[in-house]
Amino acid sequence: MTAVPLVETKPRSKRRPQKIALETVLFVVAIVLAIIWLIPFLFMIFTALKSNAELFSGKAYAPPIVYVWENFTRAWEIGKFQIYGVNSLLIAFVKVPLGIFLASMTAFAFSRLRFPYQRVLLLLVVMGTMIPVQVALGPVFHIILDLGLLNTYGGLLLVYIAFGFPYQVYLMYGFFRAIPFELDEAAMIDGCSRFGLYWRIILPLSLPILATLFILDFVGTWNEFSIALVILQDSRMWTIPLGLMGFSGYYSMDYPGLNAGIIITILPVVVVYIIFQRYFIAGLTAGAVKG
Amino acid sequence: MSQSETLGYIEPVGKSAAKRVMARERSWRQILDALPFLIPGGVIFVGLILYPIVYAVVMSFYRWDGAGSDRTFIGIQNYVDLFTRDPIFGRALLNSFIWVVLSLFIPTLWGLTLALLLNRKMWGRALFRTAFYLPAVISSIAVSTIWSWMYNPFLGFINAVMKELGLNDYIQQWLGDPQVALYAVFAAYVWVATGPNMLLFLAGLQNVPQDLVEAARVDGARPLQVFRFVTIPSLRPAIIVVIALTIINSLKVFDLVYQMTFGGPAQSTQVLATWTYFQAFSMHNFGMGMAVAVVLLVITLIIIIPYLRWATRGDDK
Repeated sequence: MTAVPLVETKPRSKRRPQKIALETVLFVVAIVLAIIWLIPFLFMIFTALKSNAELFSGKAYAPPIVYVWENFTRAWEIGKFQIYGVNSLLIAFVKVPLGIFLASMTAFAFSRLRFPYQRVLLLLVVMGTMIPVQVALGPVFHIILDLGLLNTYGGLLLVYIAFGFPYQVYLMYGFFRAIPFELDEAAMIDGCSRFGLYWRIILPLSLPILATLFILDFVGTWNEFSIALVILQDSRMWTIPLGLMGFSGYYSMDYPGLNAGIIITILPVVVVYIIFQRYFIAGLTAGAVKG
Repeated sequence: MSQSETLGYIEPVGKSAAKRVMARERSWRQILDALPFLIPGGVIFVGLILYPIVYAVVMSFYRWDGAGSDRTFIGIQNYVDLFTRDPIFGRALLNSFIWVVLSLFIPTLWGLTLALLLNRKMWGRALFRTAFYLPAVISSIAVSTIWSWMYNPFLGFINAVMKELGLNDYIQQWLGDPQVALYAVFAAYVWVATGPNMLLFLAGLQNVPQDLVEAARVDGARPLQVFRFVTIPSLRPAIIVVIALTIINSLKVFDLVYQMTFGGPAQSTQVLATWTYFQAFSMHNFGMGMAVAVVLLVITLIIIIPYLRWATRGDDK
């Protein structure tokens, strides 16, 4: 790519003005589209900073004249986001490492060991990625109920781990298989056990995919709605999304407070996303679009 | 192990039998080696994914309110009722179909357009990508709340802009009108689903061989021809993934409908995934709900498995 312009200097320089014009137009198009795309966010931020009086008297799309930061403190108190936030963090910090650990063991067995019915079993797990959660939601409710785990984090964690499992196994299977198999032989000859091979060789070599799964799974768990809706019935146990649902139900007339509440709940994931962007992209595209 | 080896050494005629014994022993060893790695995840997968699906299929043949001990086996009566006596199921089926078809065109082509635009060298390109992907990282309930507020008939952004533009005829109760509500919810879905498609296409575009593009240009191909004959064929893996994910994700759409309209107004926005939930949990027809779930599962598999087989034909050498 870098060498190409050298060869092509002449025809390019002839078309220069045209090319610059085209690039400028496309840049402006991109800016306009991005602003339109972000309108819901802008509208949310404007609303969150307005007073109720201004909300009803002014134009809906206008920025606030007076900034009412107090909306945020009120939303924080009424929304009980400190409780839901702690619940969500607790669940994410247990679920994410545990789920990835279990999925990585399974992926290790499928990718580095040989056993009968390996392909069929792998296919079965991969099929799990296509099943809509809602198909299993009703039965899962009754299974969790029968286990006496309804309305507990233990029950929620089990279901979360199960539903994250197929996709994580699939992704790690692809990554593990790309690691040279000579390493396994060398490790075995040196007296390494299978668990040692998994723990001391495969996992450390897979840090990129593990990091990706950590970030993706953290955000996914933080945002999950429908499973938590079914398993957690006591509002003190709720996670952030359920808390926001309750908030929008009970305080539906306090629009500035509601929008401030949304901002409070999405700020953590937006920050996580902006810092760890490349992991999201890697996770989305890993194994999916390699030619 | 040593015994069978000896047998095979001494008696060449019995080799195949000995081999079979060896093979059986080896597969037992392999199973024992693999089990510690397979069991922990496997138990959870079988218990909370596979078993629930079997449970759903079995329960779809029963009449049960989902709470009491009174379960009656009624054969395929739930399915018969769904297709003959439940107009809302028909509506949900149609809505899911509309959702899939619209999703196959709008967020996909829009994502491809953005990917082509942002694949060019451009100032602030990373920032633009972030902007278009951002809706995909926030929770569904946040998306629903933001869009419900956008659609608010009196104070919302959309009607205010319509008024400002003189489009007074279009001012309406977006989520309150049975004719419009489904499409209003779908607009919010487009906002969420476009970003991931864009990123998948962007990743695919990195596989377009630049020397081939240059060669085509030198040979006098127009930009559109380059796109049709070089870019699109190289994008094939990305296109396959986007289409498969689009179908799967559209069929399981639940959160936005549940949160924005609760299936209403007048059940006009019910889709299969919400209807199974409402039947099983709100209306206490657990068997009916499971029948809807089974229909949803069968439709998903009927579309996805042949599609993936077709799309990946010839990929395994």
